[in-house]
Amino acid sequence: MDEKEMNCTFAIVGGGIAGVSCVESIAFLAPEEEIVLVTASSLIKAVTNMVPLGKTLMQFDVEEKDISVLMRAHNSLKIINDFVIKIDCLNKQVETRNGRIINYKMLCLCNGAKPKLIEEHNFILGIRDTESVLQLSQKIKNSRRIVIVGNGGIATELINEVDGVEMIWVIKDKHISATFVDPGAAEFFMDRVYKADKHIYTNVSSLTKRMRYTISNTPAVTGGPALGPDWHNNFDIKGVFLKSAKVQIEYECEIIKILNKSEQKEFDPTEEWPIYVELTNKKIIGCDFVVSATGVVPNSDIIGLEDIKKSEDGGLLVDWKLETSKQDIYAAGDVCSAGWELARHWFQMRLWTQAHQMGRYVAKSMVSKLKNEEFLQDFCFEFFTHVTKFFGHKVVLLGLYNGQKLDNNYEILLRMTKETEYIKLILKDNKMQGAVLIGDTDLEEMCENLILNQLDLSIYGEDLLNPDIDIEDYFD
Amino acid sequence: MVVRQYQEEIKYLEKITETCWRIKKGFQPNMKVEGVFYVNNSLERLMFDELKNACRPGAVGGFLPGMKQIANVAALPGIVWRSVGLPDVHSGYGFAIGNMAAFDMNDPKSIVSPGGVGFDINCGVRLLRTNLFEEDVLPVKEQLAQSMFDHIPVGVGSKGIIPMNARDLEEALEMGMDWSLREGYIWAEDKEHCEEYGRMLNADSSKVSMRAKKRGLPQLGTLGAGNHYAEIQVVDEIYDKWAACKMGIEEKGQICVMIHSGSRGFGHQVATDALVQMEKAMKRDNIETNDRQLACAHIKSQEGQDYLKAMAAAANFAWVNRSSMTFLSRQAFAKQFQQSPDDLDMHVIYDVSHNIAKIEEHMVDGKQKTLLVHRKGSTRALPPHHPLIPVDYQLTGQPVLIGGTMGTCSYVLTGTEQAMKETFGSTCHGAGRALSRAKSRRNLDYTDVLEKLERQGISIRVASPKLVMEEAPESYKNVTDVVNTCHAAGISRKCIKLRPIAVIKG
Repeated sequence: MDEKEMNCTFAIVGGGIAGVSCVESIAFLAPEEEIVLVTASSLIKAVTNMVPLGKTLMQFDVEEKDISVLMRAHNSLKIINDFVIKIDCLNKQVETRNGRIINYKMLCLCNGAKPKLIEEHNFILGIRDTESVLQLSQKIKNSRRIVIVGNGGIATELINEVDGVEMIWVIKDKHISATFVDPGAAEFFMDRVYKADKHIYTNVSSLTKRMRYTISNTPAVTGGPALGPDWHNNFDIKGVFLKSAKVQIEYECEIIKILNKSEQKEFDPTEEWPIYVELTNKKIIGCDFVVSATGVVPNSDIIGLEDIKKSEDGGLLVDWKLETSKQDIYAAGDVCSAGWELARHWFQMRLWTQAHQMGRYVAKSMVSKLKNEEFLQDFCFEFFTHVTKFFGHKVVLLGLYNGQKLDNNYEILLRMTKETEYIKLILKDNKMQGAVLIGDTDLEEMCENLILNQLDLSIYGEDLLNPDIDIEDYFD
Repeated sequence: MVVRQYQEEIKYLEKITETCWRIKKGFQPNMKVEGVFYVNNSLERLMFDELKNACRPGAVGGFLPGMKQIANVAALPGIVWRSVGLPDVHSGYGFAIGNMAAFDMNDPKSIVSPGGVGFDINCGVRLLRTNLFEEDVLPVKEQLAQSMFDHIPVGVGSKGIIPMNARDLEEALEMGMDWSLREGYIWAEDKEHCEEYGRMLNADSSKVSMRAKKRGLPQLGTLGAGNHYAEIQVVDEIYDKWAACKMGIEEKGQICVMIHSGSRGFGHQVATDALVQMEKAMKRDNIETNDRQLACAHIKSQEGQDYLKAMAAAANFAWVNRSSMTFLSRQAFAKQFQQSPDDLDMHVIYDVSHNIAKIEEHMVDGKQKTLLVHRKGSTRALPPHHPLIPVDYQLTGQPVLIGGTMGTCSYVLTGTEQAMKETFGSTCHGAGRALSRAKSRRNLDYTDVLEKLERQGISIRVASPKLVMEEAPESYKNVTDVVNTCHAAGISRKCIKLRPIAVIKG
């Protein structure tokens, strides 16, 4: 691949979940078309043949993790390990740092987002991409105490997965995991947060039911792709100082400042810790390092695309075809912001699920345009779904699961069995709008259908969740 | 619902044989015919407990006991002879699951009801055999199950891996398994071993809403969640060696694959669309039912015809769906054992539909009649020599596949003449549930959680148990009880028992 200039039908920027899903889908839908994937880092790809080795370890086919596998699998694909420095929309060219020029017919930007950092600092680590997790797992081995800031999925999983160190979890909300769950569900999890030996509960199931992503063993580069689901399975994030983890939660506060050298000395003359942070609740905490997992900012600043339309959150605005305001430039995943009229039970969240869905759909959209075929918007944009695992429990989020868009004008129907299940249904005018299902409830398909069917549920009342009635096939 | 004392209610019930009870007219208002239900002793107790609980003061809820639902169906216009509750009958939307009823096609008042088919149209079970034995599979069980997971998408929001665009979907809806065959996903002989040869000819995709198509497209070839599953099973017992032999089951220990799935979101949307249309048609045509969930339309009306055509399209969708999973399962096995599916003898033994309405000929009072037979949670079970069953099974009777609840045993039965006489050629479909008996005891506790949630200022209702059960907490109408009852009643014969060794579910 020495040629300075290359031509392709589809150029994809970014080797994360959206980019790889997009490439795979194009190769599947239009195997004859040339694709170029520009990725700044080692590639993420789906792997199979997972073999469980004991409780928490997984083995998978290492040969398949080589960067060239994706290329070998798809003849039409060329992968370039490089940085995009400029896009020329007029001449339809992408320019890279190493001076390559890629001529495209259609371009798809899947270059993701970067973590919001409190401050650039040696002892502050932003967790977002695979590189930062590698760093984390190395650092954690020599640590006794860390401060974790953020209340989303990654922070929650870290609290659950990290072992052997003391953790102070700083969250700005009144309850944990606020991005995903309500205060009630947070309470449901609390037992697990404080459990001394959490690993009794991290029941790594022997079988993987969802697509798994991992990274190749090549050295990580700054700006690598975002983490996929189950990311922690591939890293050893265990400290050696404590037998088990200890968690302390600081509610409704944020870090206001990092103490400087002289302040540090004043506060703790022994300078026991390399970094001291001050919280809005006036507490000063020393620790080995701070992990910042406080959300992301779309990587939408690209030279050449200054006048492209952006949304308030900085993402590239896309229409229902996932096309940006520039013709033949598409965007998918974390970098884009949904700019079409959203379906009633869908909203955008920068999650790997949506990156994957958008990646597949943008491929369909671009290929259809190329072939001049009609296509329908994918049904996944009709209905929000996300499945994850918190504290060893399966968590299924459906539709307007936290009453989003309903202006507090809704009703909750709740059932909870401690340690076992937490079911919260969101009802409006006796029709189901959303659901949070934690534990093995077997209700996901029923809830999905009831939300989409908008069936009147008034005659059932609370009986819908009557603990004496198994209802999962009632609506079959 | 008529609320009477339990002692009053049971006056309408009469035991007519060891396994069959009659529900007399008057049990529910406007019953045009009687109802019957099949039970053995333990199922009988569950049925009567259900009724007893519903008769308690203040117990009137959204869920009607099975007997009441059977009786409400007996009050539908155009129903013929009797409303039949099979041993696995349990509460469902409209018709109980496990309730079948037939309507006279030549009576202009006869109706078709989406609640008599179910939302998951043509939900059904397919059984594949292999020439492998338990000892071949046990050592690689985990890998095989993982490989099935890798091949068959499961769970919420999962998407099929069978490529399909909008035009393909239209064709699949009209062609059913002929589409799968044309695209190379199945073997020609698979079709032979399906009801209707895997294709309902009256399907009309133009009667299906755009939303249904959009909803169905990504779900093709996916298993879903909830009570849908695929299982790797072992032959545990053979009751009828000769019939089993005809199905390619030679001896105990042989490995089979069972796939339990339906039309998923597509069927749901078709049913939902039809319910909305039919509510309007009922007002126009002055059709009255005992239960709002029994929305229906005259068979000959526009709404009735549109529904039947859309339902047929959904049935075709379900067959294409099970065929796609058949293809994926064969791939998973072939990959694991490094042999072609052909060499592994992975033939479809049979494929049955649980949720469907079909036009069939039956003898009623000595006269042949053309009927629209609604089977919801009920399986067609045709006797030997019936013209609608394939050559291979002409002598044995139609194979009837009974999936247990996930992780329990499953059965293969065969159809009998007795079923033609008593139940319009129908038998049970699987395990059932007993209303007010959950499979696991749940100890509800809201103390800390409610306090946290209430701060949000949203009104909250909590689920609570209504009844204190006195009896033993059996939750299921155990599949073995169900099957034994059908066998004892003679409405089907036991042939093979299967036991799961791996479950693939969402």
